[in-house]
Amino acid sequence: MNPASTLNLQTGTQIAPPFLEAHAIAKSYGGVAALKGVSLKIAPGQIHGLVGANGAGKSTFIKILAGLVRPDGGTIAVDGIDADIHAPDQATSLGMSFIHQELAFVPGMTVLENLMLGVPKPQRLGMVDWAAVEVSVAPLVRRLGIRSDLHAPVRGLSAAENWLISICRALVRNAKLIVMDEPTASLSDAEAERLLAIIRDLSASGVAVLYVSHRLDEVLGICDSVTVFRDGQLAASFGRSDLTRDRLVTAIVGHAPEQTPALTAPKPSDKPMLSVANLCRLPSVRNVSFQVHSGEVLGLGGLVGAGRTELARLIFGADRRDSGTMMLDGATYDPRSPTQAVKTGIGYVPEERRADGLLLTKSIAFNLSLANLDKVIFGPLLPLISPKARSSLALETIRALAIKATGPQQPVGRLSGGNQQKVVIGRWLNRRPKLLILDEPTRGVDIGARAEIHRLVREMAKDGMAVIAISSEPDELPELCDRVLVMSEGRIVKELKGTDVTRKAIIGASYSGTVQPA
Amino acid sequence: MNTYRIWLTVFARYATIIGLLAMIMAFSVLSPKAFPSFANFTNVLNQTSLVMILAGGLTLAVIVGELDLSVGFGASLHGILVTGLIVHDKIPIPVAIFIVVAAGALIGLVNGFIVTKMRVNSVIATLGTGTIITGLAFAYSAGVPIVAGVPEGFLQLSLGRWLWGIPNNIVVMAVVLGALWVLVEKTALGQEIQAVGGNASAARLAGINVDRVKILGFVIAGMCSALTGILLASRLGSGTASAADSYLLTAFAAVFLGSATLRDGEFHVFGTFIGALIIAVGFNGLNIFGAPTFSQYVFQGAILIVAVGLSSLGRMLAEK
Repeated sequence: MNPASTLNLQTGTQIAPPFLEAHAIAKSYGGVAALKGVSLKIAPGQIHGLVGANGAGKSTFIKILAGLVRPDGGTIAVDGIDADIHAPDQATSLGMSFIHQELAFVPGMTVLENLMLGVPKPQRLGMVDWAAVEVSVAPLVRRLGIRSDLHAPVRGLSAAENWLISICRALVRNAKLIVMDEPTASLSDAEAERLLAIIRDLSASGVAVLYVSHRLDEVLGICDSVTVFRDGQLAASFGRSDLTRDRLVTAIVGHAPEQTPALTAPKPSDKPMLSVANLCRLPSVRNVSFQVHSGEVLGLGGLVGAGRTELARLIFGADRRDSGTMMLDGATYDPRSPTQAVKTGIGYVPEERRADGLLLTKSIAFNLSLANLDKVIFGPLLPLISPKARSSLALETIRALAIKATGPQQPVGRLSGGNQQKVVIGRWLNRRPKLLILDEPTRGVDIGARAEIHRLVREMAKDGMAVIAISSEPDELPELCDRVLVMSEGRIVKELKGTDVTRKAIIGASYSGTVQPA
Repeated sequence: MNTYRIWLTVFARYATIIGLLAMIMAFSVLSPKAFPSFANFTNVLNQTSLVMILAGGLTLAVIVGELDLSVGFGASLHGILVTGLIVHDKIPIPVAIFIVVAAGALIGLVNGFIVTKMRVNSVIATLGTGTIITGLAFAYSAGVPIVAGVPEGFLQLSLGRWLWGIPNNIVVMAVVLGALWVLVEKTALGQEIQAVGGNASAARLAGINVDRVKILGFVIAGMCSALTGILLASRLGSGTASAADSYLLTAFAAVFLGSATLRDGEFHVFGTFIGALIIAVGFNGLNIFGAPTFSQYVFQGAILIVAVGLSSLGRMLAEK
């Protein structure tokens, strides 16, 4: 796009020109900046680590490389030539392959068919010559040590085999850079070792790898250089020689001024509102026990995939637990469905508010009244909606929550993200559940609305509600919570209280769990 | 760009009503004697009342987010069943009607259970039950229409007239659609019905029993199917194994045309009424001008596609 940037390339002092050079990449979603001008260089055959806390911008960056998201600004050059990547197949033809945790195969097709998906295949008499295909991929299959039957369906293969096949697929497409997102997350230690050996072998043969992982020990062990993102910015970049664990952690956490923990003193409430004992649903929730009291905001911290949402779903009755017991307000609590959970006194604000929380084409009044239908009818004998009752309930909530809207009849889909979230929370404000669970309460919400939502949650707690808040944003829990439980790999690994609830402590505990698997 | 969008939204919302008015005006001008009379209008409404009742029930099923392909076959079965009960079993007419409506509710209940508890896609589930129902209809009637011995009282059900000479069919249709409209738009249960169809996941997390609401949608569709079958048998004076099968497609076209009416691709009872009226007026016009039979099929097929297209257009514009 910008001719000046191509010239800049030549001024680089590296011996090998970079295979990929991204410069000043920026991206905002609805006014919230996800990337604020990050740059990154990957040399051919380099194993390059990309780390950062949740929400640091890694995923957005990868999506931009893959052509799934268009950046607002910045340039990307591949092999020294400016590339404007606007579709996934273009990224492929530039020599980039992307392997995610959720691997993209057609489960019913064979390994060989999946390997060759979208790749021109040798033909004979107008039909695919599979024998020739097999001969052509044989060297790669041997090199990667793929032992599964090429003619068996992909369905049912292990995570490790899936990874090998994904890498093989990338090589079939002549990938020069393979982007791997949390490659070892679902692998055993031995499988992970083997994968790392293969990555070293790829590097030796000139294929670069962008290794995105939370597992710092692996990053330290395998990467030639590491880039750290923090809050959408480039926090640090290290070469092999200056790479240490402490430096990495410092770069990930940052020196940002610590938020003062929430000021309400944790009330030594006489009895717990919810107590959970030995709750299990394998593999995501392992033997979790904790209590949350009336008037308390309890945070659940940890990395994405640590089991927090899964735990919340067990409490809300959306999933069945394998074992364990729960007590709500002194009585045994055994939710079989969300319907029952709501009746018993639990409210849930889901992570995906647009998909799971709202009816976007319906009005604010409609969405607010969904959990409060008994409050907007004329009476139990005349169960007709009273438009007056409904709109006054809506007006009351709009005022209490300072929702910016034209009125109760405005469709929720037309509101900003922050105001949509207020509608979801407002639904429970009127119902007054005993326990409110908030999953990522301020994701995609601007700073102003975020502070208001926090204030609102604290007020609801002050009125006697117990609140559980899940957040992947490092700063959110210290702002919002009295107490934080940090989860890692399905377990609670740390409890933080009062002034110990800091961004640094939460991130530290999140990573500690993955280093020393119990 | 924005004004273009606004115009497109307005077009998507009002196209059906404009189309209806345009048809009425065109037919009135082209055939000033036959078309624009009170008698013809009553006739059109009378003809289409049964489809409207069927489509009204179907609307409930689609509002909760499911399709019910069994309602047409169901109506055929219920027509035979009611005549059989009256003619062969000598059951009093009101009791027979009650039994058949209960049977309709039962079929809806079965459909609802298959879809919500066995997690069978509703298209497949109701295609299956619909086929089974056709089998039952043939089994019950042994393939022979029940013609002889239908009492006058039963025929009067459909042929009779109310005050000012308004046919009973229209009265029943108005009562049924009116009740459904109140249920969906005005009651607390109706809010749950709309929420389940609009976003089942959000409804579940708000504490609504999604399965129960979906089953209710099927039960109402089944009951309306029974009413349609009963009135059809009364109008035909017989019970025939496939009498109402063709109503299904017309009802679907009405429901989808309705979703493109006044709202952005959302199903609603009043819309279904307008949708059915459009089809009925179109058919009536084609008849008056002596258009060949094939043109009716072409008209109905084309209008179904246009209806779904308008409905999707409205939804697309509303969501962006």
